Amino acid sequence: MEITFEKVTHSYDVNSPVANLGLDDVSLKIQDKKFTAIVGQTGSGKSTLVRHINALLKPTSGTITVGKRVITPETNNKNLKPLRKDVGMVFQFPESQLFEETVEKDIMFGPMNFGATQEEAKAAAEEMIKLVGMDTDYLQKSPFDLSGGQMRRVAIAGVLASRPETIILDEPTAGLDPVGRREIMDLFKGLNEDGRTIILITHNMDDVADYADEMAVMNHGKLVGSGKPFDVFNNQTLLDNDWLTLPKSAQFAQDLAKKGFAFSKLPITVTQLASEIKQQVR
Amino acid sequence: MENIISIKNLNYTYPEAKTQAIKDVSLDIKKNQWVSIVGKNGSGKSTLTKLVDGLIEADSGSIEIDGQALSEESIWDIRSKIGIIFQNPDHQFVGATVEDDVAFGLENQGMPKEQMVKEVDHALELVKMADFKNRDPQSLSGGQKQRVAIAGVLATRPQIIIMDESTSMLDPEGRQTVLDLVQDLRAKQDLTILSITHDISETELSQRIVVLNAGRIVEDSDPATIYNLGADLTHFGLEEPFSSELMSQLRGSLELPTGYLNEEELMDKLWKLRSKK
Repeated sequence: MEITFEKVTHSYDVNSPVANLGLDDVSLKIQDKKFTAIVGQTGSGKSTLVRHINALLKPTSGTITVGKRVITPETNNKNLKPLRKDVGMVFQFPESQLFEETVEKDIMFGPMNFGATQEEAKAAAEEMIKLVGMDTDYLQKSPFDLSGGQMRRVAIAGVLASRPETIILDEPTAGLDPVGRREIMDLFKGLNEDGRTIILITHNMDDVADYADEMAVMNHGKLVGSGKPFDVFNNQTLLDNDWLTLPKSAQFAQDLAKKGFAFSKLPITVTQLASEIKQQVR
Repeated sequence: MENIISIKNLNYTYPEAKTQAIKDVSLDIKKNQWVSIVGKNGSGKSTLTKLVDGLIEADSGSIEIDGQALSEESIWDIRSKIGIIFQNPDHQFVGATVEDDVAFGLENQGMPKEQMVKEVDHALELVKMADFKNRDPQSLSGGQKQRVAIAGVLATRPQIIIMDESTSMLDPEGRQTVLDLVQDLRAKQDLTILSITHDISETELSQRIVVLNAGRIVEDSDPATIYNLGADLTHFGLEEPFSSELMSQLRGSLELPTGYLNEEELMDKLWKLRSKK
Protein backbone atom coordinates (compact mmCIF):
# COMPACT_ATOMS: atom_id res chain seq x y z
CA MET A 1 0.00 0.00 0.00
CA GLU A 2 1.30 3.39 -0.91
CA ILE A 3 1.03 5.96 1.87
CA THR A 4 0.68 9.65 1.06
CA PHE A 5 0.74 12.64 3.38
CA GLU A 6 -0.69 15.78 1.84
CA LYS A 7 -0.15 19.08 3.64
CA VAL A 8 -0.59 17.40 7.01
CA THR A 9 -0.47 19.58 10.10
CA HIS A 10 -0.98 18.26 13.59
CA SER A 11 -1.43 20.66 16.48
CA TYR A 12 -1.18 19.25 19.99
CA ASP A 13 -2.93 22.22 21.68
CA VAL A 14 -5.55 23.42 19.27
CA ASN A 15 -7.12 25.69 21.86
CA SER A 16 -3.99 27.24 23.29
CA PRO A 17 -2.86 30.64 21.97
CA VAL A 18 0.55 29.20 21.06
CA ALA A 19 -0.19 26.20 18.90
CA ASN A 20 2.29 23.40 19.50
CA LEU A 21 2.81 21.91 16.07
CA GLY A 22 3.71 18.23 16.11
CA LEU A 23 3.58 18.24 12.31
CA ASP A 24 3.86 21.34 10.20
CA ASP A 25 2.60 21.11 6.60
CA VAL A 26 4.12 17.72 5.80
CA SER A 27 3.76 16.28 2.31
CA LEU A 28 5.45 12.90 1.81
CA LYS A 29 5.02 9.75 -0.26
CA ILE A 30 6.02 6.42 1.31
CA GLN A 31 6.39 3.84 -1.44
CA ASP A 32 4.74 0.45 -1.40
CA LYS A 33 6.95 -2.54 -0.46
CA LYS A 34 9.97 -0.35 0.27
CA PHE A 35 12.04 -0.07 3.45
CA THR A 36 11.75 3.57 4.53
CA ALA A 37 13.64 5.07 7.48
CA ILE A 38 12.37 8.15 9.34
CA VAL A 39 15.07 10.08 11.19
CA GLY A 40 15.33 13.31 13.16
CA GLN A 41 16.19 14.46 16.66
CA THR A 42 14.01 13.62 19.66
CA GLY A 43 10.91 15.79 19.47
CA SER A 44 11.23 16.38 15.71
CA GLY A 45 7.87 14.76 14.94
CA LYS A 46 8.90 11.25 13.81
CA SER A 47 6.53 9.40 16.15
CA THR A 48 3.74 11.92 15.55
CA LEU A 49 4.12 11.33 11.81
CA VAL A 50 3.82 7.54 11.91
CA ARG A 51 0.93 7.58 14.39
CA HIS A 52 -1.14 9.20 11.64
CA ILE A 53 -0.69 6.19 9.36
CA ASN A 54 -2.99 3.98 11.43
CA ALA A 55 -5.06 6.91 12.68
CA LEU A 56 -3.89 6.74 16.28
CA LEU A 57 -3.61 10.49 15.73
CA LYS A 58 -5.69 12.47 13.28
CA PRO A 59 -4.48 15.51 11.36
CA THR A 60 -5.57 19.00 12.37
CA SER A 61 -5.56 19.74 8.66
CA GLY A 62 -4.52 17.86 5.50
CA THR A 63 -5.10 14.26 4.43
CA ILE A 64 -3.31 10.94 4.72
CA THR A 65 -4.02 8.25 2.16
CA VAL A 66 -3.19 4.65 3.07
CA GLY A 67 -3.91 2.45 0.05
CA LYS A 68 -7.54 3.25 -0.67
CA ARG A 69 -8.33 4.67 2.77
CA VAL A 70 -8.34 8.38 3.37
CA ILE A 71 -7.76 9.89 6.82
CA THR A 72 -8.86 13.50 7.37
CA PRO A 73 -9.56 15.65 10.44
CA GLU A 74 -13.17 14.41 10.18
CA THR A 75 -12.36 10.68 10.18
CA ASN A 76 -14.23 9.08 13.07
CA ASN A 77 -13.04 6.22 15.20
CA LYS A 78 -15.53 3.71 13.82
CA ASN A 79 -14.37 1.27 11.18
CA LEU A 80 -10.67 1.73 11.87
CA LYS A 81 -10.14 -1.97 12.57
CA PRO A 82 -9.36 -2.99 8.95
CA LEU A 83 -6.80 -0.16 8.75
CA ARG A 84 -5.17 -1.21 12.01
CA LYS A 85 -5.03 -4.82 10.85
CA ASP A 86 -3.20 -3.77 7.69
CA VAL A 87 -0.84 -1.38 9.43
CA GLY A 88 0.96 -3.04 12.34
CA MET A 89 2.81 -0.84 14.79
CA VAL A 90 5.66 -1.92 17.04
CA PHE A 91 6.06 0.79 19.65
CA GLN A 92 9.23 1.67 21.53
CA PHE A 93 9.99 -0.93 24.18
CA PRO A 94 7.05 -3.11 23.07
CA GLU A 95 7.81 -5.64 25.81
CA SER A 96 6.15 -3.26 28.27
CA GLN A 97 2.85 -4.14 26.58
CA LEU A 98 3.01 -7.89 27.20
CA PHE A 99 0.27 -8.92 29.57
CA GLU A 100 -0.96 -12.49 29.01
CA GLU A 101 0.02 -15.46 31.17
CA THR A 102 1.69 -17.35 28.33
CA VAL A 103 3.68 -16.28 25.30
CA GLU A 104 1.19 -18.14 23.08
CA LYS A 105 -1.82 -16.22 24.43
CA ASP A 106 0.03 -12.96 24.05
CA ILE A 107 0.81 -13.58 20.38
CA MET A 108 -2.76 -14.88 19.77
CA PHE A 109 -4.34 -11.71 21.15
CA GLY A 110 -3.92 -9.62 17.98
CA PRO A 111 -5.30 -12.14 15.46
CA MET A 112 -8.28 -12.98 17.74
CA ASN A 113 -8.99 -9.28 18.16
CA PHE A 114 -9.15 -8.98 14.38
CA GLY A 115 -11.55 -11.92 14.11
CA ALA A 116 -9.34 -14.99 13.66
CA THR A 117 -10.55 -18.31 15.13
CA GLN A 118 -8.76 -19.94 18.05
CA GLU A 119 -7.11 -22.47 15.69
CA GLU A 120 -5.97 -19.81 13.23
CA ALA A 121 -4.53 -17.70 16.03
CA LYS A 122 -2.74 -20.72 17.53
CA ALA A 123 -1.24 -21.57 14.16
CA ALA A 124 -0.15 -17.94 13.73
CA ALA A 125 1.52 -17.97 17.16
CA GLU A 126 3.51 -21.06 16.26
CA GLU A 127 4.57 -19.62 12.92
CA MET A 128 5.50 -16.20 14.30
CA ILE A 129 7.53 -17.43 17.27
CA LYS A 130 9.71 -19.33 14.79
CA LEU A 131 9.87 -16.32 12.48
CA VAL A 132 11.36 -14.15 15.24
CA GLY A 133 14.00 -16.81 15.87
CA MET A 134 12.64 -18.51 19.00
CA ASP A 135 11.80 -22.14 19.73
CA THR A 136 8.13 -23.22 19.99
CA ASP A 137 8.94 -24.43 23.55
CA TYR A 138 8.65 -20.80 24.61
CA LEU A 139 4.94 -20.65 23.72
CA GLN A 140 3.87 -22.14 27.04
CA LYS A 141 6.17 -19.97 29.18
CA SER A 142 5.16 -16.77 30.90
CA PRO A 143 6.42 -13.76 28.93
CA PHE A 144 7.69 -12.32 32.20
CA ASP A 145 10.17 -15.18 32.67
CA LEU A 146 11.99 -14.24 29.47
CA SER A 147 15.06 -12.04 29.01
CA GLY A 148 14.61 -8.50 27.72
CA GLY A 149 15.65 -9.45 24.19
CA GLN A 150 13.29 -12.42 24.12
CA MET A 151 10.38 -10.32 25.42
CA ARG A 152 11.05 -7.87 22.60
CA ARG A 153 10.83 -10.70 20.06
CA VAL A 154 7.58 -12.00 21.52
CA ALA A 155 6.07 -8.51 21.34
CA ILE A 156 7.14 -8.21 17.69
CA ALA A 157 5.71 -11.69 16.95
CA GLY A 158 2.42 -10.45 18.42
CA VAL A 159 2.26 -7.60 15.91
CA LEU A 160 3.30 -9.83 12.99
CA ALA A 161 0.64 -12.44 13.88
CA SER A 162 -2.12 -10.20 12.49
CA ARG A 163 -0.23 -10.31 9.15
CA PRO A 164 -0.07 -6.57 8.53
CA GLU A 165 0.99 -5.46 5.04
CA THR A 166 2.73 -2.41 6.43
CA ILE A 167 4.85 -2.60 9.56
CA ILE A 168 5.81 0.53 11.46
CA LEU A 169 8.72 0.19 13.88
CA ASP A 170 9.47 2.88 16.44
CA GLU A 171 13.11 2.30 17.43
CA PRO A 172 12.68 -1.47 17.66
CA THR A 173 16.28 -2.20 18.62
CA ALA A 174 16.82 0.40 21.36
CA GLY A 175 18.43 -1.25 24.38
CA LEU A 176 19.32 -4.52 22.62
CA ASP A 177 22.87 -5.83 22.44
CA PRO A 178 24.61 -5.63 19.03
CA VAL A 179 23.95 -9.26 18.09
CA GLY A 180 20.28 -8.93 19.07
CA ARG A 181 20.05 -5.70 17.10
CA ARG A 182 21.50 -7.26 13.97
CA GLU A 183 19.13 -10.24 14.21
CA ILE A 184 16.06 -8.03 14.60
CA MET A 185 17.11 -5.76 11.73
CA ASP A 186 17.72 -8.80 9.49
CA LEU A 187 14.25 -10.07 10.42
CA PHE A 188 12.69 -6.81 9.21
CA LYS A 189 14.80 -6.89 6.04
CA GLY A 190 13.47 -10.42 5.41
CA LEU A 191 9.87 -9.29 5.93
CA ASN A 192 10.50 -6.48 3.49
CA GLU A 193 11.88 -8.91 0.90
CA ASP A 194 8.73 -10.99 1.39
CA GLY A 195 6.71 -8.01 0.20
CA ARG A 196 5.88 -6.01 3.33
CA THR A 197 6.30 -2.26 3.51
CA ILE A 198 8.60 -1.38 6.39
CA ILE A 199 8.70 2.04 8.04
CA LEU A 200 11.46 2.37 10.61
CA ILE A 201 12.02 5.21 13.06
CA THR A 202 15.63 5.18 14.20
CA HIS A 203 18.54 7.20 15.57
CA ASN A 204 21.03 4.72 14.16
CA MET A 205 22.33 6.13 10.87
CA ASP A 206 24.39 3.00 10.17
CA ASP A 207 21.17 0.98 10.14
CA VAL A 208 19.65 3.53 7.75
CA ALA A 209 22.65 3.22 5.41
CA ASP A 210 22.73 -0.58 5.65
CA TYR A 211 19.01 -1.40 5.42
CA ALA A 212 16.81 1.41 4.08
CA ASP A 213 15.80 2.02 0.43
CA GLU A 214 14.40 5.46 1.19
CA MET A 215 14.59 7.92 4.07
CA ALA A 216 12.82 11.00 5.38
CA VAL A 217 14.33 13.61 7.72
CA MET A 218 12.15 15.47 10.22
CA ASN A 219 13.00 18.66 12.10
CA HIS A 220 10.68 20.66 14.36
CA GLY A 221 7.61 19.01 12.83
CA LYS A 222 8.67 19.75 9.26
CA LEU A 223 9.88 17.35 6.61
CA VAL A 224 13.30 18.77 5.70
CA GLY A 225 14.60 16.08 3.38
CA SER A 226 13.72 12.79 1.71
CA GLY A 227 15.07 10.40 -0.91
CA LYS A 228 17.60 7.59 -1.20
CA PRO A 229 19.97 7.43 1.81
CA PHE A 230 23.05 7.99 -0.37
CA ASP A 231 21.62 11.24 -1.74
CA VAL A 232 20.15 12.43 1.55
CA PHE A 233 23.41 11.88 3.47
CA ASN A 234 25.15 13.87 0.73
CA ASN A 235 22.72 16.79 1.04
CA GLN A 236 24.89 19.62 2.34
CA THR A 237 21.97 21.78 3.53
CA LEU A 238 20.78 19.04 5.90
CA LEU A 239 24.29 18.59 7.32
CA ASP A 240 25.07 22.30 7.62
CA ASN A 241 21.88 22.84 9.61
CA ASP A 242 22.61 19.89 11.92
CA TRP A 243 19.33 18.27 10.91
CA LEU A 244 21.07 15.02 10.18
CA THR A 245 24.03 13.09 11.58
CA LEU A 246 26.16 10.91 9.33
CA PRO A 247 26.77 7.15 9.36
CA LYS A 248 30.21 6.19 10.73
CA SER A 249 31.64 5.54 7.26
CA ALA A 250 30.68 9.01 6.04
CA GLN A 251 32.12 10.60 9.20
CA PHE A 252 35.36 8.71 8.68
CA ALA A 253 35.49 9.84 5.04
CA GLN A 254 34.94 13.44 6.13
CA ASP A 255 37.89 13.18 8.54
CA LEU A 256 40.06 11.57 5.85
CA ALA A 257 39.15 14.44 3.53
CA LYS A 258 40.59 16.86 6.11
CA LYS A 259 43.90 14.99 5.82
CA GLY A 260 43.90 15.28 2.04
CA PHE A 261 41.83 12.42 0.66
CA ALA A 262 39.17 13.50 -1.83
CA PHE A 263 35.62 12.15 -1.97
CA SER A 264 33.30 13.53 -4.62
CA LYS A 265 30.40 11.97 -2.67
CA LEU A 266 30.53 10.68 0.90
CA PRO A 267 30.39 6.87 1.13
CA ILE A 268 27.72 5.71 3.60
CA THR A 269 28.60 2.04 4.20
CA VAL A 270 31.88 0.37 5.20
CA THR A 271 31.99 -1.46 1.86
CA GLN A 272 31.64 1.79 -0.11
CA LEU A 273 34.25 3.49 2.08
CA ALA A 274 36.74 0.61 1.73
CA SER A 275 36.45 0.57 -2.05
CA GLU A 276 36.95 4.36 -2.23
CA ILE A 277 40.05 4.14 -0.03
CA LYS A 278 41.51 1.30 -2.09
CA GLN A 279 41.14 3.35 -5.29
CA GLN A 280 42.84 6.35 -3.72
CA VAL A 281 45.71 4.50 -2.05
CA ARG A 282 46.70 1.96 -4.66
CA MET B 1 45.89 2.96 44.80
CA GLU B 2 43.85 0.86 47.15
CA ASN B 3 41.09 -1.50 46.08
CA ILE B 4 37.57 -0.18 46.55
CA ILE B 5 36.07 -3.49 45.47
CA SER B 6 37.71 -6.85 46.11
CA ILE B 7 35.88 -10.01 45.02
CA LYS B 8 37.31 -13.47 45.72
CA ASN B 9 36.15 -16.83 44.29
CA LEU B 10 32.53 -15.83 44.03
CA ASN B 11 29.89 -18.43 43.08
CA TYR B 12 26.17 -18.04 42.63
CA THR B 13 23.34 -20.18 41.25
CA TYR B 14 19.77 -18.86 41.02
CA PRO B 15 17.19 -20.96 42.89
CA GLU B 16 15.98 -23.79 40.62
CA ALA B 17 18.47 -22.89 37.87
CA LYS B 18 20.47 -25.69 36.28
CA THR B 19 23.61 -23.70 35.56
CA GLN B 20 25.69 -21.42 37.73
CA ALA B 21 25.16 -17.71 37.01
CA ILE B 22 28.55 -16.71 38.48
CA LYS B 23 31.47 -19.15 38.44
CA ASP B 24 34.53 -18.59 40.59
CA VAL B 25 34.81 -14.87 39.86
CA SER B 26 37.68 -12.91 41.42
CA LEU B 27 38.06 -9.23 40.66
CA ASP B 28 39.87 -6.27 42.25
CA ILE B 29 38.86 -2.74 41.32
CA LYS B 30 40.91 0.27 42.30
CA LYS B 31 39.51 3.54 43.57
CA ASN B 32 38.53 6.07 40.93
CA GLN B 33 38.72 3.54 38.08
CA TRP B 34 36.04 3.44 35.39
CA VAL B 35 35.50 -0.23 34.62
CA SER B 36 33.24 -1.54 31.85
CA ILE B 37 31.58 -4.89 32.43
CA VAL B 38 30.59 -6.43 29.12
CA GLY B 39 29.15 -9.74 27.96
CA LYS B 40 26.18 -11.18 26.12
CA ASN B 41 22.71 -11.15 27.64
CA GLY B 42 22.71 -13.85 30.30
CA SER B 43 26.50 -13.80 30.81
CA GLY B 44 26.19 -12.80 34.47
CA LYS B 45 26.80 -9.03 34.36
CA SER B 46 23.67 -8.00 36.23
CA THR B 47 23.98 -10.91 38.66
CA LEU B 48 27.48 -9.77 39.55
CA THR B 49 26.34 -6.24 40.33
CA LYS B 50 23.39 -7.56 42.39
CA LEU B 51 25.87 -9.59 44.43
CA VAL B 52 28.08 -6.54 44.94
CA ASP B 53 25.13 -4.49 46.17
CA GLY B 54 23.98 -7.31 48.43
CA LEU B 55 20.62 -7.69 46.66
CA ILE B 56 21.36 -11.41 46.43
CA GLU B 57 23.68 -13.49 48.58
CA ALA B 58 26.58 -15.50 47.11
CA ASP B 59 26.73 -19.29 47.59
CA SER B 60 30.45 -19.02 48.33
CA GLY B 61 33.31 -16.56 48.05
CA SER B 62 33.73 -13.07 49.49
CA ILE B 63 33.13 -9.44 48.58
CA GLU B 64 34.90 -6.52 50.24
CA ILE B 65 33.81 -2.94 49.62
CA ASP B 66 36.12 -0.19 50.79
CA GLY B 67 37.89 -2.63 53.10
CA GLN B 68 34.68 -3.88 54.67
CA ALA B 69 33.48 -7.47 54.15
CA LEU B 70 29.93 -7.76 52.84
CA SER B 71 27.75 -9.53 55.39
CA GLU B 72 24.31 -9.26 56.92
CA GLU B 73 25.67 -6.80 59.49
CA SER B 74 27.52 -4.57 57.03
CA ILE B 75 25.01 -4.60 54.18
CA TRP B 76 23.34 -1.23 54.94
CA ASP B 77 26.66 0.42 55.48
CA ILE B 78 27.93 -0.95 52.20
CA ARG B 79 24.78 -0.06 50.26
CA SER B 80 25.17 3.56 51.35
CA LYS B 81 28.49 3.56 49.52
CA ILE B 82 26.97 2.33 46.25
CA GLY B 83 24.59 4.15 43.92
CA ILE B 84 22.90 2.39 41.01
CA ILE B 85 21.56 4.03 37.84
CA PHE B 86 19.17 1.68 36.07
CA GLN B 87 18.35 1.28 32.40
CA ASN B 88 14.87 2.72 32.20
CA PRO B 89 14.71 6.39 33.24
CA ASP B 90 10.94 6.13 33.71
CA HIS B 91 11.19 3.46 36.37
CA GLN B 92 13.27 5.50 38.80
CA PHE B 93 11.03 8.39 39.74
CA VAL B 94 9.02 8.70 42.91
CA GLY B 95 8.79 12.46 43.50
CA ALA B 96 6.35 14.99 42.02
CA THR B 97 9.16 17.42 41.29
CA VAL B 98 12.79 16.95 40.33
CA GLU B 99 13.81 18.36 43.71
CA ASP B 100 11.57 15.95 45.68
CA ASP B 101 12.93 13.11 43.69
CA VAL B 102 16.56 13.88 44.42
CA ALA B 103 15.68 14.38 48.10
CA PHE B 104 14.09 10.93 48.37
CA GLY B 105 17.28 9.03 49.19
CA LEU B 106 18.32 11.63 51.78
CA GLU B 107 14.93 11.61 53.43
CA ASN B 108 15.31 7.87 53.81
CA GLN B 109 18.58 8.48 55.60
CA GLY B 110 16.77 10.85 57.98
CA MET B 111 18.75 13.95 57.04
CA PRO B 112 17.54 17.25 58.60
CA LYS B 113 15.54 19.42 56.17
CA GLU B 114 17.95 22.35 56.01
CA GLN B 115 20.95 20.24 55.15
CA MET B 116 18.87 18.25 52.71
CA VAL B 117 17.93 21.33 50.69
CA LYS B 118 21.61 22.21 50.42
CA GLU B 119 22.60 18.72 49.36
CA VAL B 120 19.85 18.54 46.75
CA ASP B 121 20.81 21.90 45.27
CA HIS B 122 24.44 20.85 45.16
CA ALA B 123 23.65 17.54 43.45
CA LEU B 124 21.43 19.23 40.84
CA GLU B 125 24.20 21.77 40.26
CA LEU B 126 26.65 18.92 39.59
CA VAL B 127 24.44 17.35 36.93
CA LYS B 128 23.55 20.78 35.48
CA MET B 129 19.85 20.38 36.18
CA ALA B 130 19.42 23.12 38.82
CA ASP B 131 17.11 25.13 36.53
CA PHE B 132 14.72 22.21 36.42
CA LYS B 133 14.27 21.64 40.14
CA ASN B 134 10.58 22.53 40.25
CA ARG B 135 9.69 20.58 37.11
CA ASP B 136 7.69 17.36 36.97
CA PRO B 137 10.25 14.61 36.19
CA GLN B 138 7.89 13.16 33.59
CA SER B 139 8.19 16.33 31.50
CA LEU B 140 11.94 15.81 30.99
CA SER B 141 13.76 14.14 28.10
CA GLY B 142 15.36 10.72 28.64
CA GLY B 143 18.85 12.18 29.03
CA GLN B 144 17.59 14.78 31.53
CA LYS B 145 15.78 12.07 33.50
CA GLN B 146 18.97 10.02 33.78
CA ARG B 147 20.88 13.11 34.94
CA VAL B 148 18.27 13.63 37.67
CA ALA B 149 18.60 9.95 38.60
CA ILE B 150 22.36 10.48 38.86
CA ALA B 151 21.78 13.55 41.06
CA GLY B 152 19.62 11.38 43.34
CA VAL B 153 22.47 8.94 43.64
CA LEU B 154 25.14 11.65 44.08
CA ALA B 155 23.18 13.32 46.87
CA THR B 156 23.75 10.25 49.02
CA ARG B 157 27.53 10.68 48.45
CA PRO B 158 28.36 7.18 47.22
CA GLN B 159 31.91 5.99 46.51
CA ILE B 160 30.85 3.64 43.74
CA ILE B 161 28.34 4.27 40.97
CA ILE B 162 27.02 1.25 39.09
CA MET B 163 25.52 2.09 35.71
CA ASP B 164 23.33 -0.81 34.61
CA GLU B 165 22.98 -0.09 30.88
CA SER B 166 21.90 3.39 31.93
CA THR B 167 22.42 5.00 28.54
CA SER B 168 20.93 2.25 26.37
CA MET B 169 17.43 3.74 26.24
CA LEU B 170 18.58 7.26 25.41
CA ASP B 171 18.89 9.01 22.06
CA PRO B 172 22.44 9.84 20.89
CA GLU B 173 22.33 13.35 22.33
CA GLY B 174 20.99 12.20 25.70
CA ARG B 175 23.60 9.43 25.83
CA GLN B 176 26.40 11.92 25.18
CA THR B 177 25.29 14.32 27.91
CA VAL B 178 25.11 11.49 30.45
CA LEU B 179 28.54 10.11 29.50
CA ASP B 180 30.12 13.58 29.55
CA LEU B 181 28.64 14.08 33.01
CA VAL B 182 29.96 10.78 34.37
CA GLN B 183 33.40 11.47 32.98
CA ASP B 184 33.40 14.93 34.53
CA LEU B 185 32.21 13.61 37.91
CA ARG B 186 34.88 10.93 37.98
CA ALA B 187 37.55 13.53 37.29
CA LYS B 188 36.32 15.91 40.01
CA GLN B 189 35.30 13.48 42.72
CA ASP B 190 36.79 10.31 44.02
CA LEU B 191 34.17 8.13 42.32
CA THR B 192 34.59 4.60 41.06
CA ILE B 193 32.42 3.75 38.06
CA LEU B 194 31.23 0.25 37.22
CA SER B 195 29.40 0.34 33.94
CA ILE B 196 27.48 -2.54 32.39
CA THR B 197 27.21 -1.79 28.71
CA HIS B 198 26.87 -3.04 25.13
CA ASP B 199 28.01 0.26 23.69
CA ILE B 200 31.53 0.11 22.31
CA SER B 201 31.96 3.90 22.33
CA GLU B 202 31.07 3.91 26.04
CA THR B 203 33.79 1.34 26.78
CA GLU B 204 36.36 3.63 25.14
CA LEU B 205 35.87 6.05 28.02
CA SER B 206 36.77 3.43 30.61
CA GLN B 207 40.25 2.38 31.73
CA ARG B 208 39.48 -1.28 31.86
CA ILE B 209 37.09 -3.77 30.27
CA VAL B 210 36.07 -6.97 32.06
CA VAL B 211 34.43 -9.52 29.76
CA LEU B 212 32.03 -12.07 31.25
CA ASN B 213 30.92 -15.18 29.44
CA ALA B 214 28.69 -17.88 30.94
CA GLY B 215 29.38 -16.54 34.44
CA ARG B 216 33.18 -16.47 34.17
CA ILE B 217 35.64 -13.65 33.54
CA VAL B 218 37.17 -14.52 30.15
CA GLU B 219 39.05 -11.28 29.41
CA ASP B 220 40.20 -8.41 31.59
CA SER B 221 42.34 -5.69 30.07
CA ASP B 222 42.58 -2.13 28.79
CA PRO B 223 40.27 -1.16 25.88
CA ALA B 224 42.94 -1.28 23.13
CA THR B 225 43.87 -4.87 24.04
CA ILE B 226 40.23 -5.94 24.15
CA TYR B 227 39.49 -4.28 20.79
CA ASN B 228 42.20 -6.50 19.29
CA LEU B 229 39.58 -9.24 19.42
CA GLY B 230 37.98 -7.54 16.39
CA ALA B 231 34.94 -9.37 15.04
CA ASP B 232 35.07 -11.83 17.99
CA LEU B 233 33.81 -8.99 20.20
CA THR B 234 30.29 -9.74 18.96
CA HIS B 235 30.45 -13.03 20.93
CA PHE B 236 30.78 -10.89 24.04
CA GLY B 237 27.87 -8.56 23.36
CA LEU B 238 29.95 -5.74 21.89
CA GLU B 239 30.05 -4.39 18.39
CA GLU B 240 33.27 -4.65 16.42
CA PRO B 241 34.97 -1.23 16.56
CA PHE B 242 34.47 0.68 13.31
CA SER B 243 38.22 0.95 12.59
CA SER B 244 38.66 -2.80 12.95
CA GLU B 245 35.72 -3.53 10.62
CA LEU B 246 37.16 -1.17 8.01
CA MET B 247 40.66 -2.65 8.37
CA SER B 248 39.41 -6.17 7.74
CA GLN B 249 37.85 -4.97 4.47
CA LEU B 250 41.06 -3.20 3.43
CA ARG B 251 43.57 -5.87 4.42
CA GLY B 252 43.42 -7.92 1.21
CA SER B 253 44.51 -4.94 -0.88
CA LEU B 254 46.51 -2.71 1.46
CA GLU B 255 49.44 -3.39 3.74
CA LEU B 256 48.11 -2.80 7.24
CA PRO B 257 49.44 -3.94 10.61
CA THR B 258 47.75 -6.97 12.18
CA GLY B 259 46.84 -5.42 15.55
CA TYR B 260 44.12 -2.95 16.52
CA LEU B 261 44.41 0.66 15.44
CA ASN B 262 41.98 3.30 16.65
CA GLU B 263 40.35 5.58 14.07
CA GLU B 264 42.99 8.30 14.42
CA GLU B 265 45.86 5.81 14.01
CA LEU B 266 44.19 4.17 11.02
CA MET B 267 43.70 7.54 9.32
CA ASP B 268 47.38 8.39 9.80
CA LYS B 269 48.38 5.00 8.41
CA LEU B 270 46.12 5.42 5.36
CA TRP B 271 47.45 8.91 4.73
CA LYS B 272 51.05 7.61 4.83
CA LEU B 273 50.18 4.84 2.38
CA ARG B 274 48.55 7.35 0.07
CA SER B 275 51.53 9.73 0.24
CA LYS B 276 53.96 6.95 -0.65
CA LYS B 277 52.03 6.07 -3.78
